[in-house]
Amino acid sequence: MIQLFFNHPLGRTVTIFSLICITILLLATLLSPLLVPIILSFALYALLEPLSEILERQGLSRNASSLSVLLLLVTIAALVFSVLLPHLAKQLSTLQSQLPGVWQSITSMGNDVSQHLFNSLNLDIKTSSISQHFFTQANDWGTTALIQGSNVLISLTVLLILVPIITFFLVRDYRSFRNYMLDKLPNSNFEMGWLIYHRVAHQLQEYIRGIMIQSGIMCVMTSIGFFIIGLDSPFLLGATAGVLNLIPYVGPLLATVLPILLAVSEVPIELWLIGAAISVILIAQLIDNMIVIPSVIANAVNLHPLIVIIGIIVFGNLFGFIGMVVATPTLSTANIIYRGLYQGIKTRCDLKAEPAAEC
Amino acid sequence: MNSKHPLWQNLFRPKDDRISEVTEMWMSTPLFEKIPARECRDLVKTMHPRHYKKGEKIFTSGEIGASVILIRSGGVEIKAAEKLLAELSPADFFGEVALILDEPRTADAIATEESELIFFLRSDLDEWVKRSPRSGAQFMLNIAIVLAARLRHTNILLSLQNS
Repeated sequence: MIQLFFNHPLGRTVTIFSLICITILLLATLLSPLLVPIILSFALYALLEPLSEILERQGLSRNASSLSVLLLLVTIAALVFSVLLPHLAKQLSTLQSQLPGVWQSITSMGNDVSQHLFNSLNLDIKTSSISQHFFTQANDWGTTALIQGSNVLISLTVLLILVPIITFFLVRDYRSFRNYMLDKLPNSNFEMGWLIYHRVAHQLQEYIRGIMIQSGIMCVMTSIGFFIIGLDSPFLLGATAGVLNLIPYVGPLLATVLPILLAVSEVPIELWLIGAAISVILIAQLIDNMIVIPSVIANAVNLHPLIVIIGIIVFGNLFGFIGMVVATPTLSTANIIYRGLYQGIKTRCDLKAEPAAEC
Repeated sequence: MNSKHPLWQNLFRPKDDRISEVTEMWMSTPLFEKIPARECRDLVKTMHPRHYKKGEKIFTSGEIGASVILIRSGGVEIKAAEKLLAELSPADFFGEVALILDEPRTADAIATEESELIFFLRSDLDEWVKRSPRSGAQFMLNIAIVLAARLRHTNILLSLQNS
C-alpha cells in the first residue's frame, strides 16, 4: 500500500512537496529573529535588481552597480527618516494622547443611545456597565499597541542598519548563489528545477512590485483624503492604511477602524466626519480595485479568495503581522511549486511504459 | 585589498577563459548571427554548463523542454522512435524548438561520450529580449531561419523517400 502511494505521481509529488515545506519551515524557525529584515531585503531586492542590471549594462562592474544601488537605498531611507519620521512620530504621540478621549466619546454615545431607548421604549439597557469592561480592555489594548508602535520606531533603527547590508549582498551575489545552488540539481531534474524556479521568481517579483506600488498609492490617496476632510493625524492614518493594504481582504477592513474611531472621538460628535472618513476609505478602495489592482497586480496571484483568507488567519496566528503580509505570496509560491512538481513527475511517469497508476 | 587574492574572489563566478571560448562557439552558430559579441558574452555568463557521462540521457521525447543546448565537448546523438536522426559534435546545438514552444520535446538526446553541454534557458532568453529588444528580435529572426531550414530539409528528405 505504502509502496503504491510512493509510486503514484500524486503520492510522490505530495512527499517531495511536504519535504520542501518542512525544510522551509525549519529554516523560517531557525531564522525567525532575522525574518523581518530578510523579507524586507528580498522585497527591496525585487525592486532594485532591475536598476542594478541597467547600471551593469552601462559598463559598471557588479560591485560598483550594487554599491550604487546601496547608496541610493541609504539616501532614500535617510530622506524618509529625516523628513517623514519625526512628523509621523509626532502624529503617533498625538494619537496616543487622544485614545482615552475616543473611548470616552464612545461611552457617552452609548449612554445617549441607552437613555433614548429608555425614554422612548422604556427599555433599560445599561450600556455603561456592559461596555465598561470592554472599553477598559480595549483602551489597554489600544495604548499597548501604540506603545508597541513607538517601540517599532526604535527597532526600525536596527532594521535601517541590517536591511541595506543584506540588500547589498543580495543584489551583488544572489544570482551567482542561485545559479550555484540550482546547478547542484541532478542532470535529470535540471530543466524542470529551473522552470519551476523561474515561474516562482517571476510571479513573486510581480506580486512584490505590484503590492508595493498599490500600498504606496493607497497611502497617498487616503492621506490626501483625510487631510481634506480635516481628520487629525492624516499622514499617520494614510500610512497605516497603506501598510494594512499589504494584507489582502482583511487589511482594507482593518484600515477603516482607526479613522472611524478618531472621527467618533470628536466632541461634539460630528456625524458628517464619520461619513467622510468612511467615504475616503471607500473611494480609495474603489479606485484601488477598479484601476490599481487590474493594471498593477493583475494575475500575479491566482488563488481562491477563501484559501487566501484561511492562509492569512493561519499565518497571522503563527507569525503575527508579518505572517499576514507574507501569507498570500507564500501560498502562491507553494501552489506553483506543487503544480510544477506534479507536472514534471507525472510526465516522467507517463513516459515510462508501465501501468498509468504506477511509475 | 587585492581583489585577486583568493579570499576575496567571488567563488561562484565562472572563469573568464571558459566564457570567451563558449562565446566564440555560439557566435559561430546561425543563432547568434549579426548579434554583437559583447551581448553574446553577457548572455553566456547567464548560461549553465552541465556534464554528462557516456550513454546518459540529456532529455527524452515527451518531457517539457526549456532550453537550447550547445555542445562544448563530447558528442550527442538525437533519436526519435529508436531511429537515429543526427550525430552532433562540439560547437553544434540542438533543442532550439524549446526556446519558442512551452511544449514537450519531440526526440531523445543521448550523450555518446563524456560531454560538456551549455544550456541557454528560455527564461534567460525572455529576460534578454526585454533588456535588449533589438538584439532579441535579431535572435528570434535567426531561430526562424534555422527552423525554416530544418523544415525545408525535412520536406526534401520526405519527397526523396516518396520518389
